[in-house]
Amino acid sequence: MKAIVVLITFLFSLFASNILQAQTINWENLKTEEKHILSVNAGWDYSFVYGFGYGYHLKTEMPIILESSFSFASGEVIFDDFKTKIGGQINVYQFNNFHFNAAIHAIYRRYGNPLVTLQNFGAAASTTIGYYKPKWFVAGEFGFDQAIVTHFQHSEIYKEVYPDVKNGWFEPTTGGNFNFGIQGGYSFAKSDLTLRAGKVMTEDFETTPLIPFYLQIGYSYKLD
Amino acid sequence: MKNKMLYSAVVVLSIFFLSCENDNEIDGVGKLVPKTVDQDASLPSIFVNGTQLHAQTFGNPNNPMLIFLHGGPGSDYRNGLNVQQLANEGYYVIFYDQRGSGLSKRHDKNTYSIQLVLDDLTEVIKYYRTSADQKVFLFGHSWGAMLGTAYVNKYPDKINGLILAEPGGLNKKLLDDYGEMSRKINIFSEVTSNLLYVDQFITGKENQHEILDYKYGISSSFSYAKNNKEGIPGPSPFWRIGTTVLESFTDIAENDGFDFTTNLNQYQTKVLFLYGELNQSYGLSFAQKEAAYFPNSEISEVKGTGHEMIYFKWENVHPLVLNYLNNLK
Repeated sequence: MKAIVVLITFLFSLFASNILQAQTINWENLKTEEKHILSVNAGWDYSFVYGFGYGYHLKTEMPIILESSFSFASGEVIFDDFKTKIGGQINVYQFNNFHFNAAIHAIYRRYGNPLVTLQNFGAAASTTIGYYKPKWFVAGEFGFDQAIVTHFQHSEIYKEVYPDVKNGWFEPTTGGNFNFGIQGGYSFAKSDLTLRAGKVMTEDFETTPLIPFYLQIGYSYKLD
Repeated sequence: MKNKMLYSAVVVLSIFFLSCENDNEIDGVGKLVPKTVDQDASLPSIFVNGTQLHAQTFGNPNNPMLIFLHGGPGSDYRNGLNVQQLANEGYYVIFYDQRGSGLSKRHDKNTYSIQLVLDDLTEVIKYYRTSADQKVFLFGHSWGAMLGTAYVNKYPDKINGLILAEPGGLNKKLLDDYGEMSRKINIFSEVTSNLLYVDQFITGKENQHEILDYKYGISSSFSYAKNNKEGIPGPSPFWRIGTTVLESFTDIAENDGFDFTTNLNQYQTKVLFLYGELNQSYGLSFAQKEAAYFPNSEISEVKGTGHEMIYFKWENVHPLVLNYLNNLK
C-alpha cells in the first residue's frame, strides 16, 4: 500500500505541476532510514496555487534528496496553469545545528488564458542557510527561476488584435525572477509543518511581478 | 549504462531544441505586438511636440473638429472607430493614439507628465485646424474622458463642447472610488490566475516596450471576465497597449495625486456625460458626482451596454452624441 501511495504521489507530482522552491525540509529531523518524503502545500506563488511533492532520500554521506513536485493555479479551469519540477537538493555543509543547502530543478510549466497558451522549460536554483533542531527549524532562502525557452500559441482573439503575431518557440530567455525570504517549521513524529514567505523581484532588481510576494504553507510526511 | 543514458538525454534534448521552428526573440520588433509608427512608415502618423503619433482623420477638414480621446492610459483608438460615422454627418473626425499609446512612438517611463499630454493635444488641434473660427469638440472615453476634462480644466476657452463617456475619476479620490468598485478580485478565481500567473513566464525590464506591451495585452481578458462589474461582454479590438505610459501615469497618480476639477467652474458650455446601463461600477450616482463639477451638464444613460459602449452599442451612443454636437454646431 505504501509503495502505491509513494508511486501515485511521485507520478502525480512529476506529470501534473510545484511551487517556486524545493520541498521544505527539516534536515535535523530527517533520519537515515526515512527514504520517502511526501508533501502537500498551498499558498501564493504568482497566483494562489496548490502543490504536491515527492522526495527520495538517497543513502549518501552528504544528505541528498531527489524530488519532483507539481502545483496548479486556483481557478475554474484547473490544468491550464501549472508547474512541474524535477531535481534535487543537497545538504552541502553542516556546522553544529547550522545547515547550508543547495537545490537545483528543471521546470516545465504551462499558462493559458483566452488569448494565448504558453509552455515553458526553465530552471531554478536556490540556497538555504538555517538553524535546525529536531523539533523546529528556521532558515533564510534565496533563489533564481529562469524561463529559458517558451512556446507561444495564440488564440483567434489575439490574432484579431495582431494577425501577424508569431507562434512557436521563443528564445533565449523570456524572463527570470529572484526570490528571497525565510522558511521555518515544526516537526513531530514523522511529520513537518512548514511555512515559507518572501519577496519576488524580476532579474533587473528594479521591477517586480504584480504581486511581488510568495507564501507557502506545507505539510510533509516521511516514510521508511 | 549511465553514460549511454546521459548521451541519449543529450541527443534527445539537442534534437528537441534544434528542431524548434520559428525561433524568435521575445523583444524582437513585430514578433508579438504590431510595430509602432516609428518602426513602420506605412502607418498614418503626424509629428508633433517632439513625438510621432499614430493618427487618422475622416471627413471634410473644414467642418467642426471632433477629436476622439481613447481610454487607458496606454490603450488606442481602435475600439472607438465607430465614431468615424460622424464624419458623414458634418464633422471632421480626428483619431490619434496618445503619446506612448497604441501605435504611437514609445518613450521612456520618466518622460511622461500630464502637462505633456495636454501639450500634445494642443499641438494635435493646431496641426489639423484649418481656420481660427473652426469649432473644436472633444469626445473622451474612460481615461480619454479624464484627459478631456483635464484639458478644459486647464484651457476652458479652447474647447467648444465636451462629451465624457464614463471618465474613471476626475480626481484621485474619484479614481480610487471607481477602482474599488470595478476591480474587486477573488484570489482563487481563474481571472486572477490569468492575470498574475504569467509573471513567471515573461518578465520585462523598464522600457522594454515590446515585452511589456505584449504582456499587458494578453492580460486584457481580465477586463471582460465573466460577471465583471463594468458590464463588458467580451473582447473589444485594440492594436497595442502602451504599458510604460500606463505605469508612468499610475505612478504619478499614486505619488503626486491629481485633480482635474479645480477650474471646471470656468467652463460654461454644456457637457454631455454618458454612462452605460450595465456598468455596475459607474451608474447615475457616479455620473452625478462627476457632473457636479461642471456648471452646465447633461447626463444620459446608454441602454444595453457597459463601459465599452462605443464599441458594443454605438447605435445607442450615436444619437445622443449627434444631438449634442448639432446643438453646439
